Amino acid sequence: MEAADLSHHTSRRFNEDLERVRSKVLAMGGLVEQQLSGAIGALIDGDSKLGKSVAGNDYQVNGMEVSIDEECSRILATRAPAAGDLRMIVATIKTITDLERIGDECEKIALIASRLANDERPPDHYRKVKHLGWITQSMLHKALDAFARLDAELALATAREDRVVDEEYEAIQRQSITFMMEDPRAIRRALDVMWVVRAFERIGDHAKNVCEYVIYMVHGKDIRHTSLEHVEQEIRSRGARA
Amino acid sequence: MAVAARVALIAAVGMALGALFGRPATMAAVALALILAREFQQLLRLQRWLRTDRLDEAPDAGGVWGDVVGMIARLHRRKQYHKRRLLRLLRELRRSTAAIPDGVVLLNPQAEILWFNRMAARLLTLRSRTDVGLRIDNLVRQPEFVRYLAAGVFAQPVVLRSGTSGERFLQLHIVRYGAGQLLLLVRDVTRQEQLETMRKEFVANASHELRSPLTVIAGYLEMLANEPALDPAVAGPLQEMRRQATRMTGIIEDLLALSRLEADEGPVEGVDVDVAHLLEQLRRDAQAGSSPAPDVQLQVESASRLRADPALVQSAFANLLDNAAKYSPPGGTITVRWWTDAAGAHLAVQDHGIGIAAEHLPRLTERFYRVDAGRSRATGGSGLGLAIVKHVLQRHGGSLEIVSAEGQGSTFTCHFPPERVHAAAAAA
Repeated sequence: MEAADLSHHTSRRFNEDLERVRSKVLAMGGLVEQQLSGAIGALIDGDSKLGKSVAGNDYQVNGMEVSIDEECSRILATRAPAAGDLRMIVATIKTITDLERIGDECEKIALIASRLANDERPPDHYRKVKHLGWITQSMLHKALDAFARLDAELALATAREDRVVDEEYEAIQRQSITFMMEDPRAIRRALDVMWVVRAFERIGDHAKNVCEYVIYMVHGKDIRHTSLEHVEQEIRSRGARA
Repeated sequence: MAVAARVALIAAVGMALGALFGRPATMAAVALALILAREFQQLLRLQRWLRTDRLDEAPDAGGVWGDVVGMIARLHRRKQYHKRRLLRLLRELRRSTAAIPDGVVLLNPQAEILWFNRMAARLLTLRSRTDVGLRIDNLVRQPEFVRYLAAGVFAQPVVLRSGTSGERFLQLHIVRYGAGQLLLLVRDVTRQEQLETMRKEFVANASHELRSPLTVIAGYLEMLANEPALDPAVAGPLQEMRRQATRMTGIIEDLLALSRLEADEGPVEGVDVDVAHLLEQLRRDAQAGSSPAPDVQLQVESASRLRADPALVQSAFANLLDNAAKYSPPGGTITVRWWTDAAGAHLAVQDHGIGIAAEHLPRLTERFYRVDAGRSRATGGSGLGLAIVKHVLQRHGGSLEIVSAEGQGSTFTCHFPPERVHAAAAAA
C-alpha cells in the first residue's frame, strides 16, 4: 500500500479524515519524542526543573490518545472501512496506545531524574544510561518516520534495533549491581538508575511494536509473534512494497 | 501555381501522345493516374519520415512536397531549440537552489511537500523521492513546529532543536506566496545559539567576578574617607572615587539582574502584589533621593492586586521613576497612574522633561543605549534600566509602551495582561 493509495477513495472527505488521523498520530509522536528528549536531558544535566516540567506535560499525551481514539471509533462507525483502510485504522489505534505508554515511561524517568538531580553523580556520569537513552530515542524517531512514510523496510530495520536495547539494558544492570556491591551508600541511586534503564527498555519494546504495526499496515502481515528473519524473507519474496 | 501548370502540361503531353494512337482521353487519364501515383508515393515518404524519430534527417523532395517537408523540419528545429533552452534554465535553477546555503521546501496549501532542495533534505532528514506529497509536519514533528504551522501566523520564525541530543538548532520560517502556497526556509543557527549562550554566560561570570574586588575597593575608600586625619587635598578626589565606585557597583548589579532575567526564560508565577502600597513606597523613596525633590503625583485608580514577582516589579517601577526624575526639570512634576481595564493592568509614568526624539524610540530599551551620551554620564545610571524594565515585563507576559515628544516630556506605560490582575479582597 503506497501512501498514494490512500487517495483511491470514492469519498474525498473520507480520504481527508484518514489523513487527518495520521497527522494527529504523528503530532502525538512528536510530543512523545520531545518528552523523551526532555527526560533524558533532565537525567544527564541533573535538571530537576526540566524533569518536573516533563512529568507535568504527560496529561497532554493522554489527552491526545483519547482524542485520536474517538476519531478512529467515529471513522469505524460511520465509514465501515475495509482492506487497507481498515488495517490503517486498527494499526493507528494500537500505535497510540503504545505511544501513550512511552509517554508514561518518560514521566517515570523524568520524576526519577528530578530526584537524582540532588544526588551525587555516579563515577561514570550516567554515560551508559545516556547512550541507551539515545538509542531508544533514535528507535522511536525511526519508527515514527516509518509510520509517516509507510516504509516497511525502515520499520523492519528499526524493529531489529530492539535487540541492541535489550543487550545494553542487561549490561547496565550488571554494572549497577557492581556499583552497589562496591559502595553500599550508592545502592539507592543504583536502584533508581535501574528503574530508569528498565523504562528505556520498555520504550524500546513499544517502539518495536509501532514498527510491527507499520509492517502490518503496509503488507497486511501480522508479525507480532514471528521472528524478524522470517518476516524479512517474506517481504523480500514479495518484492518491493505491495 | 507551378504545380497546376505542371499537371496541365503532363496531361496535355499525354493527350497529345494519345492522339497519335487515336486514344487521347485514355492517354490523358493514364498520365493523370501516373501523376497521382507519384504524388501518393511522395505522401507515403512523408508519412514514413514523420513516423520515424529522425526528424532532423529530412528527405529530398521537390515541389510542394519539398516545401512541406522543409516547413515541418523547421518547426521541429524550433521546438528542439526551445526545449533545450528550457532544460538549460531548469538545470540552472536546480544548480542555484542546490547552492543556496539554506534549506528551501515548497508546500501546497495543505502543507504537503511539493519540492525541496538538497540543503533542506540534509537539515530536515528528508528523502528525495519518497517524501514528496507527505505533510511536512508528519516528518518534522517537534510540537513547536506543529503549533507554528497550525497557527498560521508566520511573522516570526520558530527555532527548533534537532539531532540526537538536541545539539543542533534550526530556524524555520514559513512565507506565504502565490495562491495559498507556502515556502519553508530552514537555516542552521547552532553557531548563533552557541554564541548567544557564550555571551550570556560571559556577562554573568564577568559581572560576578568584578563584584568582589569592587566591594573591597569601595570598602577601603569609605574607610579612608572617614579617616579624621585626612589630608584635605585628598578629600575631593576621594569623594569622586567613592562616587565612581558606587556607579560601577550599580552597573554591575544591573548587569547581574539582567543576566538573571535572561537566564530564566519561563513566565513568572508570582504572588499578589499590592501595587498601590508599592507606589506609595516608591514615591517616598524618590522624594527622599534628590533635591530639589521631584513632585510625584500618584493617581491610583484601582485597588486590584497584581500577580507578579514583587522584587522584579519594584525594580522595574523604580527604574521608570528614576528615569523620569533624571530627565525632568528640577522639582518637576511626575505623574504616576495605575489603572485596570478589560485589556489588563497598566502603570503609566509621565514626566514633563526634555523628551525623546522619535528616531531614538526603537532603540531606547537596548542595553547601554544613550540618547545623549554626555548628559547621561553626568546624571549617572547604568544605561541598563530600560532593558531591565523590558525584560521584567516580558517575563510577566506584558509589554512596554513609550510615547514621547522632544521638549515636552515622555510617558512610559507598563501593560500587564488581564490574567495577572486580581481584584482586591473585599475587606481591606
